[in-house]
Amino acid sequence: MAKLSLMFQNKLVKEVPIGNRPVGIGRSPDNDLPVDNLAVSNHHARVYFEAGRLIVEDLDSLNGTFVNDLRVERATLHDGDSIWIGKHHIKVDASGDAPIPVETRRKTSAPSINETMVLDTKERRNMLQQAAAMGERSQFAGGRLRMPTITVLGGNSDQKEYLITNKLTVIGKSKMATIKLRGWFKPELAAQINQRDDGYYLGPGTKTPHVNGKPIQGSVRLNDGDIIEVCGLRLNFMFRE
Amino acid sequence: MQIVSGGVTDVGRVRSNNEDCFRIVEPLHLFVLADGMGGEAHGEIASAMAVETVVKHCYEGNNNPATTLYGAPKPAWSDKTKRLCSAVHLANSKILQSAQEHPEQKGMGATLTAAWIDGNCLSISHVGDSRAYLLRGGSLQQLTCDHSLVAEQVRHGILSAVEAERSEMQSVLLRALGSEPQIEIDTEEHALFARDILLLCSDGLTRMVIEPEIAGTLQVEPDANRAANKLVELANDAGGADNITVIVVRIGAVSKGWFSWLRPGARRNAGNGSGGK
Repeated sequence: MAKLSLMFQNKLVKEVPIGNRPVGIGRSPDNDLPVDNLAVSNHHARVYFEAGRLIVEDLDSLNGTFVNDLRVERATLHDGDSIWIGKHHIKVDASGDAPIPVETRRKTSAPSINETMVLDTKERRNMLQQAAAMGERSQFAGGRLRMPTITVLGGNSDQKEYLITNKLTVIGKSKMATIKLRGWFKPELAAQINQRDDGYYLGPGTKTPHVNGKPIQGSVRLNDGDIIEVCGLRLNFMFRE
Repeated sequence: MQIVSGGVTDVGRVRSNNEDCFRIVEPLHLFVLADGMGGEAHGEIASAMAVETVVKHCYEGNNNPATTLYGAPKPAWSDKTKRLCSAVHLANSKILQSAQEHPEQKGMGATLTAAWIDGNCLSISHVGDSRAYLLRGGSLQQLTCDHSLVAEQVRHGILSAVEAERSEMQSVLLRALGSEPQIEIDTEEHALFARDILLLCSDGLTRMVIEPEIAGTLQVEPDANRAANKLVELANDAGGADNITVIVVRIGAVSKGWFSWLRPGARRNAGNGSGGK
């Protein structure tokens, strides 16, 4: 198992293993790895696994977190790296096996039905209905399909309302965009909406859209009633029966 | 638009035969990938037949637009999209027909995901659980939906995405080429933008490697072929439970623009007149 060793003046102070939970580092005693020094913030940094990689994240500490002499806000750690916090130094030992985080565990568990098979239409309906009967959410049983729509609340676009049918809906000035922006200096691709199995995701194009007043980071899942703002356009995302 | 592509197929770490098949037709900018199923060597036959048929039909349609169109294409589609959808219908009939003529091939089938790029228009036709993704704006946008039981359950809110990925029923498909005479084919058109990266892959990749890792690999590795190989390597490192096939297509920047001649490489392209579109 991977571990962190807290060193002070080349002496080992404490060792902690890195499990599935993040390891908190800081001056406050509730940290997994407390560092008793005034130069260290109460909650200074944390170390955790993400997608099989070991990550260190600075928690807005006053004096900063350094990995191999570089100040970092967030960095991937490798075996043998050193994290410096104040005058303390934490050795990273990532040689052991990483604990299998939830995200990667699902990928490594091979499906038990190994051969791919196809259900015919009748079998398929039966199975889906059975599954629906078992499932607590009975959306399927009612057979209602909710259509996602975008209503334009403000700004210059070619229509007032759009039904989202494509896997990928482009918002921009491009001729092939579904939601067409009008006006000078508007980007070809401002943002995009991706239909996935579990919902609709808004992603950035050359602009970062805002959802409910906040800029998005990466792709975000849209909820019924969300307000999207991009390039002077105000859009309302809604599901219609 | 400048298009650079690379592809690779690998048997994986567990299986003894490779039932995946892919083809890159550079002059047409046509990319086809199929994952076969069926006992003995029949999965290989089905996937190869699917890929061959699609490529051949698209070639014919490209040379002679009057070639018969199969299925019921939407009038709004471009000619290439109509042709591509028609090709998938034809592949379905070919596989069924072959299975009827050769009783030992009964039950063979294939998934198929095909992409055809014409200027800035991307046509996708798809049946089964292979996938097409577009890396744009730093994240993977999925262009196809899996025609699998678990994916259908997620769409209906019966399973969550995480539950689906742990399900034992992942290999149960609802649609595949060769299963029924009339099949529904998902066909769509998308706009392409400079610096987009298109990825076609079989489920051997997506079941072993998580999406952020796929996205990261595509972003880091500028060479299409090397990126495809890297992805296969990742899937094998994770266990390689199934055959892995990957096609990576990089859409280059459009070289037209007011100051485009200032960009590196523009002069060389201008010299022989072969740069971009």
